[in-house]
Amino acid sequence: MSVAANTAHVRPLTHGQRVFRWRLAFLAAVVLLLELYGWYGADPTAWVPVSKIMHSLYKDVLSDSKIVTALGWCVMQITVAYVLSIIFGVLIGLAAGSTNFNRRTLFPIILILYVIPQVSFLPLLVLSFGLGSAAKIAFGFSHAVFPIIINVVSGMRSVRELHLNAARSMGASRFDTIRHVILPHMVPSLFNGLRLGMTLNLLGVILAELYVSTSGVGYYTKLFAEDFNPGPLFALIGSLAFIAIVFNELVRIAEHRLTPGKHKQTAIKTKKAEQP
Amino acid sequence: MSAPDANNDVAISVRNITQRFGEAGSPDEVLALDDVSLDIKRGEFVCLLGPSGCGKSTILNIVGGLFKPTQGTATVAGRLVEGAPHPDQIAFVFQESTLLPWYTVIENFRIALKFRGMNKAEWDDRAMAALRAVGMASFARHYPDQLSVGMRQRVNMARGLCVETPILLMDEPFAALDEQTRMVLGEDLSQLLAARQKTIVFVTHSLAEAVFLSDRIFVMTARPGKIKTIIDVNESHPRSPDFMLEPRFSELRNECYALLRDEIRRTVAAQRDPQPAGT
Ligand SMILES: Nc1ncnc2c1ncn2[C@@H]1O[C@H](COP(=O)(O)OP(=O)(O)OP(=O)(O)O)[C@@H](O)[C@H]1O
Ligand SMILES: [Mg+2]
Repeated sequence: MSVAANTAHVRPLTHGQRVFRWRLAFLAAVVLLLELYGWYGADPTAWVPVSKIMHSLYKDVLSDSKIVTALGWCVMQITVAYVLSIIFGVLIGLAAGSTNFNRRTLFPIILILYVIPQVSFLPLLVLSFGLGSAAKIAFGFSHAVFPIIINVVSGMRSVRELHLNAARSMGASRFDTIRHVILPHMVPSLFNGLRLGMTLNLLGVILAELYVSTSGVGYYTKLFAEDFNPGPLFALIGSLAFIAIVFNELVRIAEHRLTPGKHKQTAIKTKKAEQP
Repeated sequence: MSAPDANNDVAISVRNITQRFGEAGSPDEVLALDDVSLDIKRGEFVCLLGPSGCGKSTILNIVGGLFKPTQGTATVAGRLVEGAPHPDQIAFVFQESTLLPWYTVIENFRIALKFRGMNKAEWDDRAMAALRAVGMASFARHYPDQLSVGMRQRVNMARGLCVETPILLMDEPFAALDEQTRMVLGEDLSQLLAARQKTIVFVTHSLAEAVFLSDRIFVMTARPGKIKTIIDVNESHPRSPDFMLEPRFSELRNECYALLRDEIRRTVAAQRDPQPAGT
């Protein structure tokens, strides 16, 4: 009986489970190496063992209400910048992609703006928006909005003529066509833009955070760095990384849920089916 | 503005249509149709038969109102088409499947019925009836890319049927199907025609299909497309497979073949001879 119970547990792993276990093992190995390096090799003003960083995370970062508030502001800025980027990115994208004329006029300009390295404008941005959240939101926005616009435009552009013709021949209104043909077609491309936009948005906000070091997360990183205090410094940076990962995951989950034809199956209602 | 031919028996009337593609005067300019005129009566089943590239799809597109011809007019049920579709009159079955890949089969039917302004309560009944007619009812919840090419085409055709317009334009709807399924669906179509008095314009490359289904076969020339000959098939609908065994059937089939062979030879020869303008 106990033998049967044992064999029932020894099931071969699925491919996904094996991948997951190897991934965990790899991460554990990296953490272990960093830990050992911290104990035996590293300059204690530059790196400390992972266990000490975790301790600082609890002791210096999460228990300091000012730092937690600063991280909270950071989350707020990322959110606001992202929401603004989506609204403006999609609207500008729709406007720029709606006709051939608009696209040919606007698209090159947008592409050029996109490739300009924006870091050089950061001091200027701080000058005009001040040291508060506005500058950070603006910097996140100016990074995120372009990939969203570009992907919306290219998504609209690749709609198949055949589908548009079919919809037209069925008597679809302009609104119907947008709702059922153009928008669903755009969704994968839109999410490409949203994912890229989130990455760049995080970059923009956090860059501005670190640059403006008179308050907020940037102030604390500077404080810890100047004290040669790597424990809390890395704990703080780790917290930022964690925030970034959570935001990226949110976009990924939204993509999975909202891409049409991936999850929903609707019931069919016919009169025959209702009468058994 | 009154139509040039207000005859009530005429469902579709095409007058002197010429269609050019590409920029005028450029080497890419293609003369697809050259002064084509035809009349299709109400309740008639007409096949367009002709070599590939002769402009069959173009005729359907113009009649369906997808674009305006370079010259000439098309009239559907007494109304000029002028590049605007008449969804209340015409259902279009395109050569390629136009099912939207992000909707399931049933959802594709629903939006087709919605676009045409059908009552929502009827959507699923109509859809399932049309799917049953082509033997695809059990795939209603599948996505188009989960179906084989032939299954997709059956669904695509059923979607054209479910809206029950008086006129059906069908561009090679059976092209990806096996011979047997073609036959069965062809018989169904013939039955439908007898029962519902639909006007059908049908493009095919299959001679047997053309003879089996048509009241009249419009044989076209190679590009630039013109109507070369009209062949009458005097046989009432619904037609049974026995019709194919009659000597008359093979005579008509051979007649079509003889007409087409010259045209196809001409197209192939034109392609083989290198054009001096190219280099
Ligand atoms: N949108 C377009 N732009 C440019 N040329 C076109 C266009 N549509 C069709 N043509 C040209 O017009 C001619 C006729 O095309 P059409 O699609 O009507 O042929 P078809 O008879 O349906 O051929 P097939 O049997 O292969 O489907 C072809 O030579 C094609 O190159
Ligand atoms: Mg064609």
